[in-house]
Amino acid sequence: MKTTLLIAVDSIRALLHQRLLLGLMLASLALTVVFSMLLSNARQNISRNFSDDQPSSNYFTVTNRMSAAEQRRFRESMDEASSMMQAGFYQVASFGGSLVALFIFSTAVASEMRKGTIRLTLSKPVSRSQFLMGKYLGGVAVMAGYALIAGIAIYLFAHTQKVELSPAIKWGPWLMFCRQLMLGSLAMLLSLFFHPMIAALLAFFAGNGFYASPNPLYFILPSYQDFNVFFQVIQGSLIGARDVLFLSVYAVDFVAIMLLLALWRFRRKELV
Amino acid sequence: MAAIRIENLTKTYYSGWSGKETTAVRALNVEVKEGEIFGFLGPNGAGKTTTIHILLNLIRPTGGAAYLFDCPVTESAVHRRLGYLPETVNLHDYYRGRALLDFYAALAGLSPESRPARVTQLLKLLKLEDAADKVVSRYSKGMAQRIGFAQALLNDPDLLILDEPTSSLDPVGRKEFRDILLELKRRGKTVFISSHILSEVETICDRVAILQTGELRRAGTLSELSAGRSTLITVKSLPANVLNALTPTAIQLTLVQGQATIRCPDETLRQFVESLLQQNGVEIVRTEAESQSLEEIFFSSIDTPSQP
Repeated sequence: MKTTLLIAVDSIRALLHQRLLLGLMLASLALTVVFSMLLSNARQNISRNFSDDQPSSNYFTVTNRMSAAEQRRFRESMDEASSMMQAGFYQVASFGGSLVALFIFSTAVASEMRKGTIRLTLSKPVSRSQFLMGKYLGGVAVMAGYALIAGIAIYLFAHTQKVELSPAIKWGPWLMFCRQLMLGSLAMLLSLFFHPMIAALLAFFAGNGFYASPNPLYFILPSYQDFNVFFQVIQGSLIGARDVLFLSVYAVDFVAIMLLLALWRFRRKELV
Repeated sequence: MAAIRIENLTKTYYSGWSGKETTAVRALNVEVKEGEIFGFLGPNGAGKTTTIHILLNLIRPTGGAAYLFDCPVTESAVHRRLGYLPETVNLHDYYRGRALLDFYAALAGLSPESRPARVTQLLKLLKLEDAADKVVSRYSKGMAQRIGFAQALLNDPDLLILDEPTSSLDPVGRKEFRDILLELKRRGKTVFISSHILSEVETICDRVAILQTGELRRAGTLSELSAGRSTLITVKSLPANVLNALTPTAIQLTLVQGQATIRCPDETLRQFVESLLQQNGVEIVRTEAESQSLEEIFFSSIDTPSQP
């Protein structure tokens, strides 16, 4: 376990020194901020439309001078805008995170092989299983950091914009994290067979098309879509703790199977 | 117990859609005893690095087996006794020198208490103290080779596998490197060294193996390899009839200060010359095995491309 953790820590270090990855993360965060600002503007426009006839645009003064019907319509529009804002925020963060996960996990082993650093690492008493698990754990830690930042950003955003969080968004970062680990485990497995770019593409599209449960592929291919809370956030519907538990168990199962297959393949792989 | 035992090792690569077959190593048998410095020689493409990669379990053999200290090479635990320096040292270049060695020391199983002292000791030995806190990506080739050598020595290995270790070192660096290897040998360590620099191998190796196109051509100590090859027979004078009898054979004659030296390239010719000299009553001054340099042994062992 100690060796696996050493590899994982080294992997985090390596990832934090990758300019492309940092660029991807920054771009993803920047996109999230831009998207949120656009939606925030949209929300202010709604407020302005309702206050065109009013001398002040302050929320309370605006609503105090409206009729009951106008107030209801105003609140509905504001709720709709804030749901859109949260859903958009989630969608951008989730998509950006998926790109980051695909990048991290599909190149985890391939980059060590390409650079030749794997030769020195495996000349130490490090088994191939420890190496692969360390690489995966390193990626998990970085993705956990990403999900944590995204989660904090959502809460900060809601706080500063005085928006009430949709019940579904509360599970958003966790489900996004699960989805990215699934994507990552599949990308890592495929990268042991194909070029990292092809592995990343295959991993991304494998889980976006075969969702219906009667289809046998549902049980073989990942169902990333189930982890997407976009529509629940827009509709303001609730995600039960039981559903989250089920999805978490599904993700753990899926990741375990992918890692077992990856270990099987990696033990047989020619590394130079 | 042998430090390295290679039995009938074969490695074949299949490439392209047609599955074109290339055999990098063919039925190789080599045994390296504990405590010796073993030179692994051969021209480019001889299969040296492939063999080393199999020993490190980086690639799988197509046939045969390899053992380190009687353990199959697939067991990573045996790497506790191993140090390895590749031909091209590719390092995690985001570390500083000291931190990189600390990372490898931790992987090698050194305790957190013993690591700093060991790292400092090796930085000093490899003359990298001034570069210890420099980012590895800024190291020169020679410095990278030195820190690569330092990481190979971290666990005080019983077996050191070195692939072209001095290719990036200057003459001073090579001399220091040789001294370290000889010191390791004195301490009973085994060194398996693949090199193109024959003069270097000649001065430090106890035994050598010469490979070409994946096949073992010759193996043994330098004296074993040069013995039984050519014999020099020196005589005081050579009668005309003996000279005539020797002329059509493959021997070489040298006349120096009234003495004739007959060079017999193999055992059959040596016996033929000795009996001929005896029959004609020629006095033999001395008979000696001709000593060969490693370079001569090397070139006599491999097929060199013919000149156009």
